[in-house]
Amino acid sequence: MDSSQLLKGVLDLAVLAVLAERDSYGYDVVRRLREAGLEDVGDASVYGTLRRLFKAGALTSYVVASDEGPHRKYYGLNDVGRSLLQTSAKTWTSFAATMNDLLKEVDPG
Amino acid sequence: MNPPMTPQDYATAVREALADLPARDRDALLEDLDEHLAEVAAEPGMSLEERLGSPEAYAAELRAAYGGRPSDGGSSLGGRLRESMSRAVRRVHTRLLVLPPYRQAAAFAPELRPAWWVLRGYAIALGVLAPISAPGLIPGDLPAWVFTLAVIWGSVWLGRRGRARPSRSGRVLLLGVNLLAAVLVITAMADVPSTSSRSVAFDYGPQPEVYAPSMRVERVNRVASLGGDVYNIFPYAEDGTPLRNVRLYDQDGNPIMVSPEMFGQTIDVPCDGEPPIRHAYPLPLRPVEYRAGATCAPAAPAPTSSPASSPTPSAAPSPSPSAEPSPSVTPSRRHR
Repeated sequence: MDSSQLLKGVLDLAVLAVLAERDSYGYDVVRRLREAGLEDVGDASVYGTLRRLFKAGALTSYVVASDEGPHRKYYGLNDVGRSLLQTSAKTWTSFAATMNDLLKEVDPG
Repeated sequence: MNPPMTPQDYATAVREALADLPARDRDALLEDLDEHLAEVAAEPGMSLEERLGSPEAYAAELRAAYGGRPSDGGSSLGGRLRESMSRAVRRVHTRLLVLPPYRQAAAFAPELRPAWWVLRGYAIALGVLAPISAPGLIPGDLPAWVFTLAVIWGSVWLGRRGRARPSRSGRVLLLGVNLLAAVLVITAMADVPSTSSRSVAFDYGPQPEVYAPSMRVERVNRVASLGGDVYNIFPYAEDGTPLRNVRLYDQDGNPIMVSPEMFGQTIDVPCDGEPPIRHAYPLPLRPVEYRAGATCAPAAPAPTSSPASSPTPSAAPSPSPSAEPSPSVTPSRRHR
């Protein structure tokens, strides 16, 4: 199974988790997700997810001027985003437990 | 080889690829695309295209991540609604499959499909015939039967064809036909008790409150006890004069009744009088040849019947009060 298919379903959760750690700008979120092990994550997917979560009212954003290079728009969680992260994490945890349970007899080789 | 795209070129190409989105959505999505692309381009080593792929692919990925909007953009609301509806139905279906009775019903339901096609055609045929034919659950005469069979044939044909080629317009048509048929079937089933109670009131003439509906059963028994083919009684006096309006009762005081309707006869109901008493013999019978709409016979000896009694009072068009223009409706509707 292609892990990018799995990623599609949980990208919101991954982005929220990264932003819960600290506020980030778009490319920084991409970089941190890749550093965390999600090497397949697409730049456009992360950018689109950030914009969608922002439009949905889960994120705050502010612009930080930078000396070398462009202004950066930072995103962070607000209360909506934090509670969204909490419920999504709960859903994921029980889902992952179910899947692990289902697969515990399977030897991945 | 082309020179590498600048972030501006790349952003412009992405915007073009998303030109079909509503302007507000596109602006909200692409608000800080330029800054973002500049950030990506600042990474040393690779060009934007090498790192991100073609602008078109990038735009498609953005579109998917932003809301999974289909590329035509327009029908998104209806499509999403339909999709979430069918998803909900599927979820309920999956959950109900846990119950063994539901599982069995779901297993044999497809085999009942042809039966539904027949019932559907029957219901629609009767629904079409209802305004022009005798009310009832079976077609009244030969042309009605021919029409009904033709509609059933069409319904079965439609059912078989609909499965083979489920085109979009065909599905919509099929859904409409099925809904109409279902409404007709349910209406017919809901209508059965009311028609039979109506006939009870008619059968027992002017004293429906004395003879409770349970009398229907008794009446059937009486007919049986009178013998299978008796549907009228002609009493005569000792001297041979025919008697009229003789009321017959059995040993328990129950009125003795017959069922002329089972012999193709119906009781003549005078238009300007009360319906005859069902156990007053001889019954004024006539063969059933008129539609049930003409439920009364004009009183022959009195041609000057009162103008108030029209032969078919129920069929007379009566203006419904709701159809009249009322001044209060128009402005309030306009406010909405």
